[in-house]
Amino acid sequence: MSARGNVLAARGSVWRPVVARISWQRLLLLLFVAAFFAYLFGPLIIMTVTAFNSADYPRVTPWDCFTTQWFGRFGRDSLLLAGLANSFFIGLGVVLLSLPIGLAAAIALSEVGERARSLLYTVFIVPILLPGIVIGIATLLFWGRIAGSFGLGHDTLLYNGIFLTILGQVCFISSYSMLIFLARIQRFDPTQTEAALDLGATPGQAFRKVLLPFLKPAIGSAAVLAFLASVENYNTTVFTIVSESTFTTVLASKVRFGIDPTISAIAVIIITTTLVAAIIQEARQRRLAARRREALAGVAAGAGAAAVMAGPTGRLLSHPASVAVLLLAVVGGLVWAGSRYDSSACQDALLQQKLQRQQELLEQQRQRMQQQAPAQPAPVPSGAAPKPASPFGGVFAPNNLGLSAPGGAVPAPAPPGAAPKPASPFGNAFAPDNLGLSAPGGATAPKIEPGAPAAPADPAPATQ
Amino acid sequence: MSPNGIRVAFSRFFHRWGPGVGIFVTGSVALWIVLLIVLPQLAMFDASFRFNLPPAEIGGPRDLHTLSNYAALLLDGRGGINWLDLGVLGRTILAAVFVTILDLLLCYPIAFVLAHGTSGGRARLMVLGLIVPFWVNEILRAFAFRIIFGSSGVLNAVGLGLGLWAAPVDFIRQDVALYAGLTYTYLLLMIFPIYNAVEALDRNQIEAARDLGSPWWRVHWRIVIPVAKPGIASGATMVFMLTAGALAAPQILGGPSSLWFTQLIYQWFNEGGNWPRGSAYAVVLLLACILVTLLAMRVFKVRIGEIGR
Repeated sequence: MSARGNVLAARGSVWRPVVARISWQRLLLLLFVAAFFAYLFGPLIIMTVTAFNSADYPRVTPWDCFTTQWFGRFGRDSLLLAGLANSFFIGLGVVLLSLPIGLAAAIALSEVGERARSLLYTVFIVPILLPGIVIGIATLLFWGRIAGSFGLGHDTLLYNGIFLTILGQVCFISSYSMLIFLARIQRFDPTQTEAALDLGATPGQAFRKVLLPFLKPAIGSAAVLAFLASVENYNTTVFTIVSESTFTTVLASKVRFGIDPTISAIAVIIITTTLVAAIIQEARQRRLAARRREALAGVAAGAGAAAVMAGPTGRLLSHPASVAVLLLAVVGGLVWAGSRYDSSACQDALLQQKLQRQQELLEQQRQRMQQQAPAQPAPVPSGAAPKPASPFGGVFAPNNLGLSAPGGAVPAPAPPGAAPKPASPFGNAFAPDNLGLSAPGGATAPKIEPGAPAAPADPAPATQ
Repeated sequence: MSPNGIRVAFSRFFHRWGPGVGIFVTGSVALWIVLLIVLPQLAMFDASFRFNLPPAEIGGPRDLHTLSNYAALLLDGRGGINWLDLGVLGRTILAAVFVTILDLLLCYPIAFVLAHGTSGGRARLMVLGLIVPFWVNEILRAFAFRIIFGSSGVLNAVGLGLGLWAAPVDFIRQDVALYAGLTYTYLLLMIFPIYNAVEALDRNQIEAARDLGSPWWRVHWRIVIPVAKPGIASGATMVFMLTAGALAAPQILGGPSSLWFTQLIYQWFNEGGNWPRGSAYAVVLLLACILVTLLAMRVFKVRIGEIGR
């Protein structure tokens, strides 16, 4: 059998029982797994899509224009960039502190006796279980008290948000690194150090030249995990950061006090970075696995691995470095294309369309007013006001409200007769349901001339 | 553990790794436990028994201990019981239990499939698929749920478009968004402990049970779940504690009428400016969580040493 046949046969043996035993249980399970991953990825995919919609509120439907404008906003947001810089320094500090602590804790666990181990282990695992805000509050109070007892002022290190945040995060991130080091140390063969000691190494040398190199992969993954956990932490950071800010706290305040697609754009950047890193890592893993197979089974299996990767070209292509270059080139190309893409033509057209629709509505309303109030040729506000209620009633029906409150106010600069009426649409626009979606334009809209391009018109009436 | 035991352990330690490494290990662990874990918690505990004084009076004659902060949580100051805050605490605990159960139901099948239903490249791909979403910031994940569940969100658009419901449903006010978001946030903490436990199970046991005519649910009930129990316990403990202590998701996804207990603590610290009272609330939250966890462990007969493995 050829090498390729071998591979296919191996694959067949994986698949055959699946096909043979396919039953309703199996199908149900498969559906469950599919639904689970939809739950996992659905929100991220939807968020990604909203980053490219030109609507002011992050949404998928109705679709306005394809745009890349939100990415540009992120680059100009000085608050976010300052937060990002702080997050980077905090992450660096956390990695530098929590890795040695986690390593020391793992070594301590591997050396002490059985009973001491379970006690120590419980102590080491507690910070993971403590609610994040409890850690944050405790850190803030403790260091504040230390500073107070030494008579230090508020401009000293102990009141510095970045310093406090590093300490607060190290408290529980050390537990994470401890777990990673522990998993690796448990596979360590102590006879290796004994051999080194017998051969004349000092204990310190045995540690540096035998144990540390063995732990190298764990050091890498613990560092990555600690950095990510630090950057993404909110619960502890929001208390310890005091007057400073991090990337996550800035994001959180942005999301809490009104949401716009810039945040989706940030998410797209993070997701893309993550995916690229994950694919490169996967390529590395596959390469390592293939190498291990080769080393295990000699030349014959080597041919099998070569067959999987389709010869030297495939092997070059599947090398992590070339995968990285390829992906970065693709991402770079997309960024370049995106930065050159201009959606203003489409947006202008859309705006024109909406304005036209608005004009039509105003026209209809005027006609109706003339029909219904022929006895009063002069536009007396009080008399005319109740009548236009019906067109507005349609426009501001609950179905349309959520979509865009700012635009909802645009028809307000209607003829004087309609002036008293907008009170009720505003009442709706600021109802609790619509908070957060609403308001920036809402209050100022009546002052804007109908037809001024600054006012985003309501798309909802167009669908009626 | 006796002092003698500690001394023996440390002498072994210094012998094997030398004084440099010995000092590094004991020093780091001691600093971590004392300076970063124990003393801060004690400081918070102490602060919860003090009056809310201006900075100038701290350490002065009026800086005494008091139970008033705890009393404020229990009593409403007019002789009645403070049902408002206690209700928030109770609801938070119940909701956290609910989220934990939901996570368990979702994650057990996935962990089992991961351990015994796939292998090789597909298993690795599945693990990657599980981990990648959690590299995205927690705030952004909550934001995504707001896009989906908002009154003009995707779910409402689909539901209205298909004619499933007539008017937009406010999923945020109904707390659906909050539960979905919280459940999502801590999925991994449930999957991996269960996976670690189930992976140790010998497949032959399942095969044997099947060959002897056991239906699939009994295979799980009698063979897989007993093996998975420590994993379930540690996953459930972590998910429960972290859900009850969550702040970001309730702040972003919580409805206007439903508060999470952590939000009360946050308010005392940031808007109320009353740190001692916030500390007291935090202590109560911590104790309540520990109590519920210990109770659940007693009921399901699990020891704390099994957690996190």
